[in-house]
Amino acid sequence: MIRYISKENKALISELVRTDFKLRYQGSVLGYAWSLLRPLLLFVILYIVFVKFLKLGASIPHYPVYLLLGIVIWNFFLEMTTQSLGSIVGRGDLVRKIRIPRWIIIFSSSLSAVINLMLNMVVIIIFMILNHVDLLVTTLWLPVILLEVYLFALGLSLFLSAIFVKFRDVGYIWEVILQAGFYLTPILYPLTLISNVTFQKIILLNPMAQAIQDARWSSITHETLIPHTVFQGGWYMYIPFAIVIASLAGGLLYFRKESKYFAENI
Amino acid sequence: MSDNIAIKVVGVNKSFKLPHEKVSSIKSAVINFYKRKRTFEKQEVLKDISFEIKKGEFFGIVGRNGSGKSTLLKLLAGIYIPDSGQIHINGKLTPFIELGVGFSPELTGRENVFLNGALLGFSRREMDSKYEDIVKFAELERFMDQKLKNYSSGMQVRLAFSIAIRANTDILILDEVLAVGDASFQQKCYDYFNELKKQCKTVVLVTHDMSAISRFCDRALYIANGREEYIGSTREVSDMYLEANYNTPESGVERGVAVKPRPTIRRN
Repeated sequence: MIRYISKENKALISELVRTDFKLRYQGSVLGYAWSLLRPLLLFVILYIVFVKFLKLGASIPHYPVYLLLGIVIWNFFLEMTTQSLGSIVGRGDLVRKIRIPRWIIIFSSSLSAVINLMLNMVVIIIFMILNHVDLLVTTLWLPVILLEVYLFALGLSLFLSAIFVKFRDVGYIWEVILQAGFYLTPILYPLTLISNVTFQKIILLNPMAQAIQDARWSSITHETLIPHTVFQGGWYMYIPFAIVIASLAGGLLYFRKESKYFAENI
Repeated sequence: MSDNIAIKVVGVNKSFKLPHEKVSSIKSAVINFYKRKRTFEKQEVLKDISFEIKKGEFFGIVGRNGSGKSTLLKLLAGIYIPDSGQIHINGKLTPFIELGVGFSPELTGRENVFLNGALLGFSRREMDSKYEDIVKFAELERFMDQKLKNYSSGMQVRLAFSIAIRANTDILILDEVLAVGDASFQQKCYDYFNELKKQCKTVVLVTHDMSAISRFCDRALYIANGREEYIGSTREVSDMYLEANYNTPESGVERGVAVKPRPTIRRN
């Protein structure tokens, strides 16, 4: 373990994250404000269309904050996986010419997504105050749920970045999967809108759906469906967690196996 | 491995799979996929390489283009993994396959110094104390807050070299650093090599410059077509290299004779 958090690696990670930050909004006037503005603008559009026009979520208290939290968590997942996906290929010069631990590249790109998430969480807290959301004791669960999303995304990032070195098709495939995932995850519609319980269960097997619902339940309102109530305590309520663990373990193993050949395959 | 050996290479082989990408249509791609008929050409780049480098030795590697020098360096640096055979490294090794790896054109010179320092394992605080020296040595005091993309290539190399020589390491791997830069830069390189020799660092140097080989190296390795032809005195090695260059038909270029007829340039 000491080997992994050596002084050299720490210096390298902090410098790579710093570079990432400096380069991301290079040449834009608003600069880093964009990382807050993007989810907020998406939120405004979805709010106008789905809440104001289509009247979704009228049964759920604090629906705007509920919607925003879902968007922010999904965006974190999207940002982290898409950025990591191209990161090994994007840092090809380092991979081919220097010996640095390969995982550092993925880890530092995941850290910049985490920092972004933290900034977005500040916006959510402001929205919660404006919307008079009562502080729930269960909010203490929120960090654990976010950690679950992080680990899930990390596993996928490791896998995707490694396979992208060999097959560039993965970039397009992942884009389609993310698009599908956005609609198959109850982000902009409340889960109660789906009346078929079997469909509800299937949707909640997805770790992202489970995490988003649990996050909303724990910090915004208890009047929402969560896997525990939908599955009625059945054993399959553990499936999302099993998927997260499988993704992390699979991602780590595959990355470790492939990373030896990154330099010659890029 | 005994203590006075810095690098030990035992029977190393390395080959690359080069896919034949002659898929002309989606249909044939699909057919090939099902027939598992993706053809590869296996190119053996290094064959049964074995040698030892002692601690404090200045070791040269010489060979013509495509002989496998760079692959060997990357294997030593741990960037590639050998197909078979072993490589033992005794001490901290820093490769300079290229100067300025990781430089980012959109960052300022100053920011690049810190990023590059981190790639060499230096923390921000350590770099703070080295920063002044690096800038002074590179003679770029006025340009440090400009973006790197506005630097000339010579300035970039100077900055990269100035950072690289701060590397705190036991074994250095240098690939054709002499190939870039003007005479004064080369002089700086030579001074650095002398400094390294004085400090008794282990250095592996790849170059086409035979005068540098005979001036600095204690021993050298000559590779041709992925095989080691000779290890030993630098004199023998540079003779073999020069002979190989001038006695083969493709080597016309080096003698200043155009091998292929010049393409005619059409002017409208």
